[in-house]
Amino acid sequence: MNIFAPIGKLTHYLDPGTGSMVLQVVLAALLSVGVLLKVFWRKIRGWFNPNKTSVSDEIDPTEIAEAESAQLSPEDDLK
Amino acid sequence: MKLHSSFRDPSGFMFHQEGVLYRQVNLSYQEHYDQLMESGLYRQLSSARALIPHEECQVNIAPIPGKVYKIIKPEPIAFVSYPYEWCFDQLKDAAVLTLSIARRALQYDMILKDASAFNVQFQNGRPIFIDTLSFERYQPGTPWIAYKQFCQHFLAPLSLMAKADFRLNQLLRVYIDGIPLDLTSALLPKASFLNPGLLSHIHLHAKTQKKYADAEFPQEQISGKMTKTALVGLLDSLLSAIRSLKLKSQKTEWGNYYEQTNYAQAAFEAKREKVNAFILRVRPRSVWDLGANTGEFSRVASNLGIPTIAFDIDHGAVQRNYAMVKQDKETDLLPLCLDLTNPSPALGWNCQERLSLPERAPVDMVMALALVHHLAISNNIPLENLASFFAGLGRWLIVEFIPKSDSQVKRLLSSRQDIFPDYTKAGFESAFGMHFEILEESPIAGSERILYLMERKQKLD
Repeated sequence: MNIFAPIGKLTHYLDPGTGSMVLQVVLAALLSVGVLLKVFWRKIRGWFNPNKTSVSDEIDPTEIAEAESAQLSPEDDLK
Repeated sequence: MKLHSSFRDPSGFMFHQEGVLYRQVNLSYQEHYDQLMESGLYRQLSSARALIPHEECQVNIAPIPGKVYKIIKPEPIAFVSYPYEWCFDQLKDAAVLTLSIARRALQYDMILKDASAFNVQFQNGRPIFIDTLSFERYQPGTPWIAYKQFCQHFLAPLSLMAKADFRLNQLLRVYIDGIPLDLTSALLPKASFLNPGLLSHIHLHAKTQKKYADAEFPQEQISGKMTKTALVGLLDSLLSAIRSLKLKSQKTEWGNYYEQTNYAQAAFEAKREKVNAFILRVRPRSVWDLGANTGEFSRVASNLGIPTIAFDIDHGAVQRNYAMVKQDKETDLLPLCLDLTNPSPALGWNCQERLSLPERAPVDMVMALALVHHLAISNNIPLENLASFFAGLGRWLIVEFIPKSDSQVKRLLSSRQDIFPDYTKAGFESAFGMHFEILEESPIAGSERILYLMERKQKLD
C-alpha cells in the first residue's frame, strides 16, 4: 500500500515529512500501550467506583458520545 | 473574488461575493464532504460550537463552475486574528480544540488532514475551528499527515513560551507554517528532555526529521503500521503534552497597572462614566480599544453588546483579560496582543496571506485611553502621525490627553530629554484637529487628564 496514494479522489496537499511519519511508526507500539493501559485502568477503577466518573478522564476512543450541550466548552464537549 | 489566503488546499477555496464570504467545495472533495455531513460528525461538532456552522447555497455562484461540488456559506467571523496575536492560553485552547476535533473525527472514521493554527478563530469568546475542508476519510494504517504541522504550529510555540520565554511566540510571525522543530529543540532548555511529551514530539521529532531529510521514503517501514489505537495514543500524548504546559508567572509591566495608577478610584469611575456617555452618544457597531490593558474600559463597550477588541502590548495583561473572558463567559470581547509601534504586518505569499492590522480595519470606534503619551513620548511618534493612524482605522475616536504635569508623564520624561515642545493641550488639539473634528472634551474629575470624543473629518473610500 502506498500511503501517499490518493484517498478517493483527493491527494494530500501537505508534505507530511518523512521523519515525522517514521517517528509515529516508531512510537506506535508505545502509544498503543498507553491507550490500552488507560482503558484498562479505567475499567479497574470502574469496578471499585461504579458511580464515579472524572471530568478529566478520556473516554474509550472507539465510543461515540453525543454532544450534550452547546454551552460546554469545546474541550469538554469533545472529550 | 477569491480570498488571497485560500489557495493551498485543492479541496476548495473561499471567495467573496457582494460582501458575503462563501466557500467553494470542489468535486475532488466530494466523498469527504459527504462523509463529514452524513456521518453526524458535522452536526456534533457544529452544535458544540467546535466547528463553524455553514449553510449550503446555490452552486450557480461558483467562481470555478467546472470544479464545483457545493457552495457553502459559513457563519461569518467578526474579526480574523492570527496566532502571533494570541496570548499563551488562547494558543493553548486552540491546540486543545484542534486535538479534540481530530480525536472526535476518528470516531467517525475521519481525520484532520491539516492542523494549522490559522484554522482556528475566536468567536463569542471561544475558539472555533473554521476550516470545514480539513476533514478527510481515515485510511487505516496511515500515520497522521498533520503531525508535523501540529507540532510546528502549536507544541513548538507553546513549549518555547512555557519553558524558555513567552516572547518566543513572535517566531510565529517569521515562520508562517509554524516554528521549525530543530530550532525549537535548540532553544528549549536541556531540562525539557526529561518531559516525555517534549522529548518525543519535539526533540526526537527534530532528530528524526534531520535523519530522514534526504532519505527515500521508507514505504515498507511505514505502510499499514500505524494502528488506530496508536493514532489515538498519538493524539492523547500530544493532548497531555499541551495540557502540561503552563506559563511561568510573569512579572509584567502592565498586568497590575490598575493597582499602580496615580489617579484615585473617584477619577477612575469618572473616566468610566465619561467613556460610557461617549459610547452611548454615537453608538458604534464595533470598537477597538488600543492599549486596553486588562480591558477595564473595553468592557464599557462590550457590556453594551458591542463587539470589542482589547489590544495590548503586554502579554500578561492579555492573559489576565482572556482569563476573565473565559471565567465570565463574555461573548463580545476579544483580547489580543499587539505592539502598536510595530503592528502585525501583511505576511505570507505575495504579502497577501495574512492581513496587516490596518487591512483588517475599518472599525466604527477607536479608543486610545492613557496611550498617547506612551507613543508620543516613549516612542517619539509625532502627534499628527498618531492622529493620522487613528483616522485610518475608524470613524469615531475616544482619546485621552495626559499633560506633562501628570506624574505618569513626568516619569516617562525623567530619564530622557524633553524634546516634545508641542506636547501640550493646544498642540494635541491642533494635531488631531487636522484629521478629526472634536465633538466633545471633558476633563476627568480628580485628575489633570482630558477625554475627547472626535469624529474623523474625511470618510474612508
